[in-house]
Amino acid sequence: MTMNNANLSIEQIDALQEIVNIAMGQAGDSLARVLNSFVRLSVPRIRLINSAQASQCIAEIVGDTQQITAVRQSFYNKLCGEALTLFSSEGCRDLATLMGHQTLDTETEKELLFDISNILVGACLNGIAEQLGADLSFSAPSLMASNVVSSQLLSPDTLPWAYALQVEVNFSLEQHKFKSHLIIMLAEDAITALADSLNYFIEAI
Amino acid sequence: MDALPPAVTSLLDFLIDRINIGIFAVNRNMECTLWNRFMESHSGVASASVLCKNLFQFFDELPHKILYHKINSVFILKNFAFTSWEQRPYLFKFRHHRPVTGGVEYMYQDCTFIPLKDPAGEVQQVCVTLIDVTDTAVYQKMMKEAMTSLAEASNRDGLTGIYNRRCIEEVIMKECQRVQRYGGTLSLAFIDLDRFKEINDTYGHLAGDDVLRITSTFLNESLRQIDALGRYGGEEFVAVLPATDIEGAYIVAERLCRRLADIPVHHNEIDIRVTASVGIAEWQPTMSRYEDLIKAADQALYQAKADGRNCVRRGT
Repeated sequence: MTMNNANLSIEQIDALQEIVNIAMGQAGDSLARVLNSFVRLSVPRIRLINSAQASQCIAEIVGDTQQITAVRQSFYNKLCGEALTLFSSEGCRDLATLMGHQTLDTETEKELLFDISNILVGACLNGIAEQLGADLSFSAPSLMASNVVSSQLLSPDTLPWAYALQVEVNFSLEQHKFKSHLIIMLAEDAITALADSLNYFIEAI
Repeated sequence: MDALPPAVTSLLDFLIDRINIGIFAVNRNMECTLWNRFMESHSGVASASVLCKNLFQFFDELPHKILYHKINSVFILKNFAFTSWEQRPYLFKFRHHRPVTGGVEYMYQDCTFIPLKDPAGEVQQVCVTLIDVTDTAVYQKMMKEAMTSLAEASNRDGLTGIYNRRCIEEVIMKECQRVQRYGGTLSLAFIDLDRFKEINDTYGHLAGDDVLRITSTFLNESLRQIDALGRYGGEEFVAVLPATDIEGAYIVAERLCRRLADIPVHHNEIDIRVTASVGIAEWQPTMSRYEDLIKAADQALYQAKADGRNCVRRGT
């Protein structure tokens, strides 16, 4: 990555990777308890991206032509940023069946997606925050887009940041089509705040 | 957290009680541990009577299963939870603050469920904040209605109220795609009023407008529910006839032609005779684009004009 990595040292990134791995494991466990199904999750990937790459990164994560529904949620306090949960359109229907809904009207489906992304986002971020000694607050989840092509989710022209830290993890369920991608993003100043927290964490070990 | 000075604590107590937001809390047994003034005044239940009581036993109207699940998830996952008015307009059947202007039945509510942790990090209580978002909901509803009528208006011809050219072309395109994919029949009828310029020249443009309006209403009422009628150009209309072969389309077009010629348009106490030429065409498997069907019907219309007007011709 050509990005100026000066924001986070190798040591800081290693520490963050460790923290995120633990947090994601906990999140998978939470989700499994709610869905009563074994949850598989990928090794979290951490990278710095610039705003011009943002759309391409999302397309890379979920697949170029894939139609997705995206839910966003903000978190704030010691760490602040936004978390996106991306669902494939097919996965949404599968999830509904999994949760015991025969038919779903659009609002009930939205509520279901919000609940699932809230659990994912909360579990991952609380896990990260707890290890860093932070206590986070969350805004209510809201629908960012439904059934759009993944590369059109973000429009680089309107992004208010030049570079951001992206933490990405994929969740899927054994024997189901359900699949979701969680993307946590921290922009510029928030990365500096994170770096401070990481320093405390590193000193403490 | 360090203990707060008494003055701050009493200020906080005051705020929690008087703030224009509902705040309440429950413990693991779903017993109420906090119930502020907003909750008191909107529920009509005093704090003294609900404290230490099971919330669900007190309020029948609560969506028991969903809410229990939600609060429980906060205890287990130590995570925030939310409900939004857009999916679930209310949890409590509270009266709204629009007794005069109305528009809604109950207060619309956004709720946030916050885990309250003890020093050991265990969640002992869940605090709920309830925000009255009735006004937002009402405005959103108004906006949605405006958007719907705007979308509707953008599909309509200003003079006649039937579909405009852009919209009817879209209908033709979709119907063509449908028969192309799933089979079946589809026909088009291009209907052009004869010697319309003479009507304008003889009776004036207002009379011409009346003829267009009355004729389009007549055409629209003569078609089936599944058909669609649009204004294609000045005095040219197009009827989309799904599930209709060329024979069926001919019968429809003939009938329209005859009745149009029989009933004069009444304008300012004068009767204006109106006839129309009609070109019809049926979708053929050899056609590849919807424009091919339009072209075939248009050519048939040209033929009807050439054959002396007030008649129906078929295109291929």
